[in-house]
Amino acid sequence: MLRKKQTGHMLTSRKAPEPLMLVFLFLALLLLLFVVVTLANMVIEQVVTDLPALINAACEKSVIKSISLSMYAGLVATLISLVLGIPAAYILARKNFFAKGFVESVLDIPVVVPHTVAGIALLTIFGANGLLGAPLESYIQFRDAFAGIVIAMLFVSTPFLTNSVREGFQNIDPRLENTARSLGAPMWKAFLFVTLPLAARHILAGSIMCWARAISEFGAVVIIAYYPMIGPTLVYDRYLSYGLSASRPIAVLLILVTLTIFIAVRLISAGWRLYDKD
Amino acid sequence: MTIKNKIFTILTIFVLFGAVFSATGCINNETTTNDDVNINGQDAVQTIGPEGELVLKIFHAGSLSVPMAELEEKFETLHPNVDVQREPAGSSASIKKITELNKQADILASADYTLIPTMMIPEYTDWYLAFAKNQIVIAYTDDSKYSSEVNSDNWYEILRRPDVTFGFSNPNDDPCGYRSVMVTQLSEAYYNDESIFDDLMEDNTAIAMTFDNGTYTAVMPASEYIEPNTKKIMMRSMEVELSSALETGEIDYFYIYRSVAVQHGFKFVELPPQIDLSSVENADKYNTVRVRTANGNIVVGTPIVYGITIPDNAMQPELGVEFIKLLLSTDGQNVFIDNGQPPIVPAVTNDAEKVHAELRALL
Repeated sequence: MLRKKQTGHMLTSRKAPEPLMLVFLFLALLLLLFVVVTLANMVIEQVVTDLPALINAACEKSVIKSISLSMYAGLVATLISLVLGIPAAYILARKNFFAKGFVESVLDIPVVVPHTVAGIALLTIFGANGLLGAPLESYIQFRDAFAGIVIAMLFVSTPFLTNSVREGFQNIDPRLENTARSLGAPMWKAFLFVTLPLAARHILAGSIMCWARAISEFGAVVIIAYYPMIGPTLVYDRYLSYGLSASRPIAVLLILVTLTIFIAVRLISAGWRLYDKD
Repeated sequence: MTIKNKIFTILTIFVLFGAVFSATGCINNETTTNDDVNINGQDAVQTIGPEGELVLKIFHAGSLSVPMAELEEKFETLHPNVDVQREPAGSSASIKKITELNKQADILASADYTLIPTMMIPEYTDWYLAFAKNQIVIAYTDDSKYSSEVNSDNWYEILRRPDVTFGFSNPNDDPCGYRSVMVTQLSEAYYNDESIFDDLMEDNTAIAMTFDNGTYTAVMPASEYIEPNTKKIMMRSMEVELSSALETGEIDYFYIYRSVAVQHGFKFVELPPQIDLSSVENADKYNTVRVRTANGNIVVGTPIVYGITIPDNAMQPELGVEFIKLLLSTDGQNVFIDNGQPPIVPAVTNDAEKVHAELRALL
């Protein structure tokens, strides 16, 4: 059933607007402006003062390579997050067990660890002499390689996905799954055909956050894999070598590319509100 | 607690946090920074330190960090009213701070003495002293592959082996990087093996070597186009990252100054003086190799000699003279010897007339 559209607006309703709401509106506006003005200024200044540079940057081989690498590595990291994170989220949503709170906190730790610290920790484990890197040395190289980029992105962005998906599973009444099973469906069918579709919006939102966070990671990636250069590394390298005006076009390109995809996916998922629990 | 009281408590906590954070912002920042206000086109350097002391400002090369730190300690013991502030950076970057950013330093010490006449004389200084030498070595540890075999006759053979990884710094950013390139090219003539550079560097990066009229010129692409083969080599802007890579076993060998290898306790292969950029006698051999960095600058192979000067715009030139006196003294020489950087005794200058009178006596 479609929801009834909410009539009346807090400012245009007949009652005088609450003073508290006005204060809140003002503060919210500050926050909004903080984000919008910072990014819009970069983009507009680049377009207005030096548009040819932006267009040249968009055609440069190294720029195209690094932005594509960022997006592809982010995608791989998100896919791995999905494979590992959905089961974890399901267990956390459905089961209660000893030290559950502890486990949930541990899964959130990567968010608070400083990025460079995470990078060094990962390099220690996955480097040529590391705990995991040494036995894998003949098969995968992590230092200065694609695998290292993905690992670093995975470490910092998985929590976003697990948290969103867990919330999605929590919103689904277990009785729906039980109904499916009582009708003869094995557990995996109930999960695949009942639970997952109902949680689709949360899974998608979590994946977008995960992917966006992965693409923007710099500190952890640059420690374990300076080459091949991802987008943020290229911006940094250019900034150090040539200065602000040489690095800004790439920065603007990165903003535009990621924003576009971000908006596109959110628009697609907007229509999925139908499946939300009332 | 009523809702009103709850809101009140929360607001009070926020206000307290805000007050604490703004208070930390008001705490006086004792150390001088490079962002001091521009007055008359020159940075207003704090020459009086936080406790009323005098400040001696030194810009120096990264590879001088350890000996300079030791000299700083000795100097501050001799002159308790002086605070020595050092800023290590790449040698070209350090000089550009003075010539392009108008920053003031009382002493400038460069890992490449030739940069002083090319970049600073005559507008920013008139003289320099060549005071220490260095050489490029190949550093390794006991855990490096074939560490028991490697010596000055077979190092390039070992670096060629498919299971060996090595590193060198970015020639665009670091003199040690372009010197590594020069050493590798020079080794071809010495060992009578024409493919050393190709196998080690040309095949593993986008660096191209051209030969014209008896001179080899290595052409560096922009850093983002270097494309190092990361399975075989490791390249970073600063040599320090390579040191930690050797320590953790990421790489087996890397090109570095002998002094830095000594300071880090690495084993190293000493290279023949005909190729390791250490001796003035072989300068004409070194001259046959040059490197063209990404910004178009051409660096010619020269012996690695450190240069020092007191820029014209120094705020405390007399203190600078005192520091250089300490550097040239036996005490100072021992600091460099202990750190693996043989001092040049007596120091050599370009023009004794232009040097400060007190230092002239020590030359």
